[in-house]
Order: sequence, then structure tokens, then C-alpha cells
Amino acid sequence: MADSAPAQPKPSSSVKLVLLGEAAVGKSSLVMRFVNNDFQENKEPTIGAAFLTQKCNLPTRTIKFEIWDTAGQERFASLAPMYYRNAQAALVVYDITKPSSLTKAQHWVAELQRQASPGIVIALVGNKSDLAAVNGGASGGDSSDDVDAAPAAEGETNEEEDGADARRVPTKTAKAYADEENLLFFETSAKTGTNVAEVFTAIANAIPETSLKGPRGVGGQTNLGRQEERVNLVGGRTEGPKEGCAC
Amino acid sequence: MDTLDKTEWDVVLVGTDLKQSLLALALSRSGRKILHIDENRHYGGAEAAFSLQEAEEFAKKVDEDTSAAAFTNVSISTPDTDEPTSSATLLSPSRAYTLALCPQLIYARSALLDALISSKVYRQLEFVAVGSWWVYSVGSRGAGDEETSSSIAQSGKLLKVPNGREDVFQDEDLDFKAKRALMKFLRFIGNFEEQTEQWQPYRTLPFPTFLKEQFKVPPSLHAPLLALTLSPANGAQTTTEYALPRIARYLKSIGALGAGFGSIISKWGGMSDIAQIGCRASAVGGGVYVLEKGIAGEYNAEGVEQSDAEAPSLRLRLKGGESVTTRWVIGSKPSTQTTPSSFCRSISIVASPLQPLFPPIGEEAPPPACAVIVFPSGSLLLDGEPENELELPPVNIMAHTSDTGECPRGQCILYASTSLSGQRGQELVKNAVDTLLHSIGINPIPTILWSMQYEQRADVALQPTSFYNGDRVLGFSPLNPDLAFDDSILDEVKEIWLRIMGGEGGSFLVFEDREANINDDE
Ligand SMILES: Nc1nc2c(ncn2[C@@H]2O[C@H](COP(=O)(O)OP(=O)(O)O)[C@@H](O)[C@H]2O)c(=O)[nH]1
Ligand SMILES: [Mg+2]
Repeated sequence: MADSAPAQPKPSSSVKLVLLGEAAVGKSSLVMRFVNNDFQENKEPTIGAAFLTQKCNLPTRTIKFEIWDTAGQERFASLAPMYYRNAQAALVVYDITKPSSLTKAQHWVAELQRQASPGIVIALVGNKSDLAAVNGGASGGDSSDDVDAAPAAEGETNEEEDGADARRVPTKTAKAYADEENLLFFETSAKTGTNVAEVFTAIANAIPETSLKGPRGVGGQTNLGRQEERVNLVGGRTEGPKEGCAC
Repeated sequence: MDTLDKTEWDVVLVGTDLKQSLLALALSRSGRKILHIDENRHYGGAEAAFSLQEAEEFAKKVDEDTSAAAFTNVSISTPDTDEPTSSATLLSPSRAYTLALCPQLIYARSALLDALISSKVYRQLEFVAVGSWWVYSVGSRGAGDEETSSSIAQSGKLLKVPNGREDVFQDEDLDFKAKRALMKFLRFIGNFEEQTEQWQPYRTLPFPTFLKEQFKVPPSLHAPLLALTLSPANGAQTTTEYALPRIARYLKSIGALGAGFGSIISKWGGMSDIAQIGCRASAVGGGVYVLEKGIAGEYNAEGVEQSDAEAPSLRLRLKGGESVTTRWVIGSKPSTQTTPSSFCRSISIVASPLQPLFPPIGEEAPPPACAVIVFPSGSLLLDGEPENELELPPVNIMAHTSDTGECPRGQCILYASTSLSGQRGQELVKNAVDTLLHSIGINPIPTILWSMQYEQRADVALQPTSFYNGDRVLGFSPLNPDLAFDDSILDEVKEIWLRIMGGEGGSFLVFEDREANINDDE
């Protein structure tokens, strides 16, 4: 029994998304902002991993993100391989106040390009943009012009003082790298919510239509009369696989 | 979480094979501190699935490792094609493939599916249907068919196994007497458990003997019925008590998940994906995962010290000098057989979708993504060997379409295996694959783009779980290279789970959906 309800006007598809990046760059906070529109300062890091879902409405279709967040054991780098297997999208996050976290992000991008599914959409995300000086604020994801003048402090880890510019990674540097590697690029703040929804929408738009219809397409739309290829384990039961939106 | 040795672990799981991973899933809400390690760079252990590049690495690693590993004699061949033909017949990039070391089908009534549903992880899995079963037959039935290829020594053909009673009725190759015998047998198997008087005397006798003496099933139908057992042994060595529950399992499953099919396979590399889902669930529950981290030395009680007789915690030494403290250690027992038997297997990427193997299951049913092809004992010969071929075991081939996510469109994967080991086993498997490609009726004969041969150590009888002295160092029995998921694996996992949980774990593999909780309390 396929669950293709003709009542659904827009086709909907699941997209598996994995979050990668150094500890404490704000991965979980980004997901929390996207899924619950919430932010908690100094939240205790979760150990393990988390699985969340959130829908994203595009004009022509609905994308349901299945989000895999890893936590607390980034050091072992052993969770990632099981998360990016068959993932269609990856959010590689660094902290704009911490240059080493960009290095780590670049390492992840390289690994994804080597190991993940060939068509994976990768977004590079510089988080904590609220800590940058106001004129460097990433208001549109394209604020590169103002900030590159900021001296890139070498190694010294300044305490973040209120009002001071804590940015240590110029937008331009990261953007140039992202362009070179063909990545989506955003600077975000999970704290204020700036650009968070935009990242996910951009990813949703960047997922090629073919990969949705293709092997992982679970939308239930019957393309050209092609039978739904999946076997539905719980077809007969009342709770279908169409669980409600996470929010 | 920077070092492993500062934590008092409750359970250290060694290896991410399916069994350990199902245990990890079962323990994922237990609150136990779990460290799950694997010496490999990949998940899945013996049930792993590989890209081409990972398969190469696997071959190299097996080659270097002379210990009693689960796999031996791996070799990869990429037949050099005479001339490059159309692009459809070219090998795609490494990651376009997900090749399963031990593909298994899952019967629709398997307890595994219940467990995946009750534990809610089924939401992250995708399944596709197994369609037709075929038996290769060397010209006994269906004579008068001349289109068989002459380039191969044997000139047999593939016969579709009737799929349930309606099929039997409609089968034109069967005469009335044969039909009646078969129907009688099918009725019996529906509740054979209750008719012990009929089969008990034949318990340990060959299954064909039982078919002949009790039901007068003609010999031409023995092969298809044996095929349904997926027995690795030939007819004379396949006992009635082995065969009956397996055929019953097949028949009872038909229709359970949709009309016309009885088994499914997990997409993206079969059991490998299920193993990883178990590990993921465990990670979500706080389990710590470390790849490329093995234990020092062999897996046995010697590697473990009782650090304190009062508080029964163990010290487990890991490769690289580290050692961890834990209450339980669960791994795989090494094979205890003095003369280990092994299976020969091969994986072949074929430059054709092999359409004729996958006729539609039915109008309501999903398209078939897998076909089972059995070469019965005696249907294949080995070069230069006399015709005592009845001694040879059958070869089973599972053909997977691109709908499994294991290969690009326009290609398919053939997984072949036989219980014969060594050079002869390799040859027999190769022979079966070639014969299959020649008897499908596609011209020109589809080519093989890439193939890997390997041997898998096998303990043919699944032994009950046994434990090392320490009582807290437990080992799963070695893998049984069955082609269908064996529900007794879940019993084994449950037994170990019960020991660890001591009765306070609630119901085995029954969980609520996580999603709601996460939104509330994170
Ligand atoms: N100022 C600021 N702090 C943030 C932001 N995102 C996360 N944080 C803080 O950074 C710390 C680590 O965040 P977390 O989401 O746990 O990082 P993770 O380890 O990558 O998942 C927490 O104390 C968060 O409150 C942000 O956008 N701005
Ligand atoms: Mg986190």
C-alpha cells in the first residue's frame, strides 16, 4: 500500500542531512534554532547523537529534513562515516571566532568529497556571527566586503568581550574557499537566528530533483506511472510513515 | 570525552557486525555506558557493504592478515574489455556502488521486521521486494526449447519456481499427477508442525526421500522445493527437519507485505544498513563509537583482567596500549572448529539490468529488486572432473537491481555463493555466474565489469551462545553464512541483552519514537 495521498498538493521528499564540525561551534544550536526556533545559552553538550526532523516548504515541493547531529565524541571522528552514508546534504559548521574550527571544517569537506555520496550538497556555515562587530554582521550571507580588513589575530585567543569584535575568520577567506570547492556558504547566528532558515532553504533548493526521484526518493509521487519501489513495512497500520512535522 | 580510559564503561561491544549492532540497538535506551569499537575503518564487520575502493582496501587487508579472520582469499578482477563499448557498459565511479559482503533476504514474517518496527528504527530504513525465484535445470523439463546458447557446455534453462498455489495450478509444464502431489505437499507444509507423525520418521533423512515416499512428488520438482530452503548442501545432505521449516517460512511469508512476494531486502547494502541503524540508535542514546580500535590479542578471556574481585569490573586492553574498564565485554567468538569449513562467494557487477530475471510481481506489488537463482547440485560441472557431479553443492545467486541502491541504473549485481571451499569452490561459483549470463536470453551476452571472489569461514551449525569463564566476557557465535536472515540471531542477541540488563530492561527492542522526546527536553 503506497501512501501517496492525492490530497497532498505538493510532492514531498525526505532529505538526509548530517552536521559536521568541531565541538562547540554551534551545530546543535543551529538545529535547535531551525527545528524549534529556540536557543539556549551555555547549554550542556549532549553526548552521543541526535536525530530530528523538520519540514521545509518550497514553492513546488516540501522537503522533510532528517537531521543527524553528532555530539560529544567529535574527537573520535567515528560517527561521521555512518552519518554521511547516503546523506544528500551536509552542513559543515565552524565558529567565526575560532580559526582552527575552519581548518577542521575543511578537513570534513575533504572527507565528504572523498567518501560521501557523489552528489551530496555541502554547505559551509560560519556560525556565531552575532559575536562579530556590527558592521561585519552577516545580514545577507554576503557581507564579505566589510570584514576582511579586520586583522586576523594569529593564534592569540582573546576573551570575547561584549561589543568587541571577536571575529577571527574573515568572511572573505571562508567564502573564497567555499567558492573554490563549490560549497554553499553562509554566516549564521544560532543565537539570533540570523540566516539559519536560509541555510536550510538553500540546501533544499540545491538538492537536484533527480536525486529526490531517484533511489532515495520517498515522496510517494508516482512518476510516469512508475510503481513505488519501496516496500511499506507498516502499510496496514494506522500510523503511516507520514509522521507529523516536528514543530 | 577525550580519553576512553577515564570512563567506567558498563558494556564494551567489540565489532560492529549485525549481532553486536542489534545488541547496541537493544541497549540504546538502557542508560548503560556503552563503548562500541571496531578494528576496521568501516561499520558492519562481516556484514559490511563497500564502495569499489573500500572493497580494494578490504582485499588488501585480508591479504595481509593471516589470523583466523572471517574472510580469506579475496581477489578482485576487472576483466579487460577488448574494446570500449557504449558508456552504459562502463564501470561507474567507486562510490556509485554499495556491495554487500553477506547479502541476506528477510522473510516478511521474520521477527527482525517486528523488532525494527517496535524499536522504531524502521523509519530510517528502506526495503525493496524480492521477486522471482529461479532454478537452473539441465533439460529435464521443457524440452523442445532450442534458443539456449551453444557457447557454454551445459545447455539448460532457468525455470521459475511457482509462487504459491495459483502458480502451481497455472504451470503448464506440470502434469496433473505432479500438480496433485505438489498441492498435497503444500497443504501439509501449512501446518507441518502439528503433523509430526508424518515427518518425524524422516527427520534426519534426506528431504527428497521424504518428498518421494510421503507425497510422491516427482524428482523434477525436488530441485525447486530444495531451492526454497536455500540449503547450502546438496539434496542428499539436506535433512527433512532442516528443509520443512524453511519452506514453511517461505510460503507463510508470501503476501504478508503485499501480494505476490514473501521477502524483502534492505536497501543500500542489505544487513550493513541495518547494522548501522543499530549503531546510530545507540549513539543517539549516548553510546560512544570508535573505529580503527581493536582489542589487543585474540578475543578471549585472557585479554581481560579482573581488576577487582569485589566490584566485578574488567580491564580490557586495546590495540595501541590503551586499556578500558568495563563490566561487560561482548564480541564475536572465534571459530572453534578444528577444520573450519568455508563458503566461496563472489560479487559481480554486470553491465546489464538483466531484465528477464525480474518479471513484474503483480499489479499491486512493488517492482522486484532482487531475484534468487539456484543452481541445484548436479546442474553444474567442474572442468576436467568426472561426472560424479552430484557430490557438488548447489550454487545460490542473488541478483540485485539498481533499485537496491547498490549500483547505477543499467547494471546489476550478482551475489553468488556455494558451500564448496578452495579453488574448486571458486570455479564452481564462476561457472554458475557465467552459466546464468548465458541462459538469460540476452544477446550479446552481458559482460562483467568488476568482480570479487572471496571465502567466508562458516560454522555451519549455529551453536548456542557460549561464554567465556569470566561470565562477563561474552561472545556471539560466528556468522552462519545463511542467505536469509535467521531469526535465531535475535534470540541470541536477546539472551545477552537479558544477562546485561538482569531483567530490568523492559521489553526487548520495544521503544517509543525518539523525535517527540528530543523536541521536549533538548
Ligand atoms: N554567541 C553565540 N553562541 C552560540 C551560537 N551558537 C551556539 N553558541 C554557543 O556555543 C556553545 C556550543 O554550542 P553547541 O550547539 O552545543 O555546539 P556543538 O558542540 O557544535 O553542537 C553553546 O554554549 C552555545 O550556546 C551563536 O550563534 N552565537
Ligand atoms: Mg552538539
